[in-house]
Amino acid sequence: MLLLEYHNLLIHQILTERFNSPTPASIDQVIPDFDGVIYHISTPDVKTKILVSLSIKCYNDLIRYGAQEVLQREYGSYIVEPESGYDFSLLLDLEALPEDQEQKDDLIRRVSLLKRNAMAAPFERAFDTHYTLSAESSKFTSESAPSSSDTEVMAIQYRDEEAIYIKPSHDRVTVIFSTVFREETDRVFGKVFLQEFVDARRRAIQNAPQVLYRTDPPLEIRGLKGVVDTGAGDVGYVTFVLFPRHLKPDRRDEVISHIQTFRDYFHYHIKAAKAYMHSRMRKRVSDFQKYLNRAKPENADRERKTASGRSFRAQN
Amino acid sequence: MSASQTPAVVMDNGTGYSKLGFAGNDAPSWVFPTAIATKAAAGGGSGGGRPAVAQKPSFLTGGAGPSGHLSSKRGTEDLDFFIGDEALNAAKGPGYGIDYPIRHGQIENWDHMERFWQSSIFKYLRVEPEDHYFLLTEPPLNPPESRESTAEIMFESFNCAGLYIAVQAVLALAASWTSSKVQDRSLTGTVIDSGDGVTHVIPVAEGYVIGSSIRSIPIAGRDITYFVQSLLRDRGEPDSSLKTAESIKEEFCYVCPDIVKEFSKYDREPDKFQKYVVDQGAGRKVTVDVGYERFLAPEIFFNPEINSSDFLTPLPEVVDGVIQSSPIDVRKGLYKNIVLSGGSTLYKDFGRRLQRDIRHLVDARIRLSEQRAGTSVRSSGLEVSVITHKRQRYGPWFGGSLLGQTPEFRSYCHTKQEYDEIGPSIVRRFALLGGPGGNA
Ligand SMILES: Nc1ncnc2c1ncn2[C@@H]1O[C@H](COP(=O)(O)OP(=O)(O)O)[C@@H](O)[C@H]1O
Ligand SMILES: [Mg+2]
Repeated sequence: MLLLEYHNLLIHQILTERFNSPTPASIDQVIPDFDGVIYHISTPDVKTKILVSLSIKCYNDLIRYGAQEVLQREYGSYIVEPESGYDFSLLLDLEALPEDQEQKDDLIRRVSLLKRNAMAAPFERAFDTHYTLSAESSKFTSESAPSSSDTEVMAIQYRDEEAIYIKPSHDRVTVIFSTVFREETDRVFGKVFLQEFVDARRRAIQNAPQVLYRTDPPLEIRGLKGVVDTGAGDVGYVTFVLFPRHLKPDRRDEVISHIQTFRDYFHYHIKAAKAYMHSRMRKRVSDFQKYLNRAKPENADRERKTASGRSFRAQN
Repeated sequence: MSASQTPAVVMDNGTGYSKLGFAGNDAPSWVFPTAIATKAAAGGGSGGGRPAVAQKPSFLTGGAGPSGHLSSKRGTEDLDFFIGDEALNAAKGPGYGIDYPIRHGQIENWDHMERFWQSSIFKYLRVEPEDHYFLLTEPPLNPPESRESTAEIMFESFNCAGLYIAVQAVLALAASWTSSKVQDRSLTGTVIDSGDGVTHVIPVAEGYVIGSSIRSIPIAGRDITYFVQSLLRDRGEPDSSLKTAESIKEEFCYVCPDIVKEFSKYDREPDKFQKYVVDQGAGRKVTVDVGYERFLAPEIFFNPEINSSDFLTPLPEVVDGVIQSSPIDVRKGLYKNIVLSGGSTLYKDFGRRLQRDIRHLVDARIRLSEQRAGTSVRSSGLEVSVITHKRQRYGPWFGGSLLGQTPEFRSYCHTKQEYDEIGPSIVRRFALLGGPGGNA
């Protein structure tokens, strides 16, 4: 599993089971997801009506950048008043599902992508702004093209201490993640990891987006509310520059899904790398133990005592 | 999103199955085999062999997405693995070997267990461990080194916010609080935890396991499945795979009061014989007859000689022996609250038979001592009560879910910060959650 799924596996599984089972059952599960997202899937009134609710920290940010329209487009008539304690709710009536299996599966898939779709709003808006700006700028010669700095930077505070910043312009969309490292080790792994991103682009995958990493706020977001340069280096800023080839309408959905999961993917890989290091270390230890065992004197079976009189035995 | 608000993650990794989910829910989100399929041969197991180690950590491969050509060049073996049901599927094809990192309740292959957890957390539970507290379970008499290794992985690899490790049996007692038969929320009782690989009988007094009296029995779910399978084979049924045997066991088996009478019942009532339809895939369906194994298989617990000649003590005798070897002042409480836990206690009437048999043993002993003491002294008898309840199947997980959602849970955990200050030895001790003083 190199990549993380975009959708919530459990919601997908529960709905698939419920949609295709002849016997209704009651459900009441709280399902957390990355970045403090909490889903609640339940059957509050009758077993045939499933309520799926989403709580997401940055909901107000997302609404500001057009989440309402995106959610309306994706979920339309399934949308109901949000359940108390949640930001957004859908009601799925098992007795009024689409007849067609393919449409059913599509509905399941869409519901399990709820977080992804809510988070997609600012990205979609940025892509749209980029299309407009680039259409306008093509009317100008390159010298007189309008400067891009006057477009708004969208800030999505999606975790307590971490945010995504998105800035569209006529020739690119810049996406900046701020990310906090609690641990020195993680910071080091993080750097190596990002360096690989940078190198990969140089080496082989020239079409990959440009990636920059720094520990002070990049120019684009300096001075924005909430962006402070502590100078301590515990906040990292990862900048992705998406060029027109990444922004093509036919690739847009995939690119948005992909870039959204960056932070979780990044931290997941740092942790996987540490797990890998652990297994190297275990192997080392067991090798050393083998050498030690080989070096045992002939009569090693005899119980040996430490200075304090406790006995010990070599581990095999 | 601070970890003090998010639901705690509860993971009960058993020999056969892992139960994973979030505190506060009444069932685990995921239940799948504690199995991992990795490239190259299955690790662990024989002769203390070391597991194969991948050549390069995946982050050095750029790993960025579907552009496979980089990864093939630089190796991503350390991320090329599956867990749970996906592992069983992968192992059917070429190229992957399967390993069960937990044996007899204890973690044996730490490399595989670490990766199993990694995938459990990121792929299935989908949480950033830094944002959550974790409640893990352990078998009785887990060596402290094993706890420390667990803590090392949880805190150093995953940076989890906080960790509590609870003994499965104690959690199983907490799970029984949901039964209407249980009036006081006591953590005193005898737990019979029967899973896939082993059955433990564990006396617990006020939340503490009486280690010297624990007994384990080499009969559990897997043995019963094998027994069913052997009967299917003997009869030459058209499908006698392990999976079929397991399904038949789970769906049809029950415990009877008396096997001789039960046999004759089958002669009189032909509808006791059942049919089980196996879908072998590709549209092929075969029908398997189900007969005496319905009651004979679980009977192994009560008459082990049916199946083997190595282990001969019936379960009720083991339970009675465990309680008799416990300190005298807690015995009454241990007889009064015998709690079932684990998948292999789910047979219909398992608890009823157990209660009857244990009561017979106890009554016989009382009668004997009365005779010795003369007729004038009459004992008032001793209450024997076996608790069957709705949460038995995932008892330890459910107990964890119950305790993990209490307001005081987090204060019982060791935090990442404490771990960083003190080191792995910090997890050798945990304050008793839900015990006296707690008000879970
Ligand atoms: N309804 C049932 N009746 C009998 N056995 C069952 C039933 N459901 C599950 N099992 C068995 O329980 C075992 C798994 O129990 P579990 O407590 O999860 O084990 P562990 O914790 O040791 O991994 C398996 O052998 C499974 O076949
Ligand atoms: Mg278990």
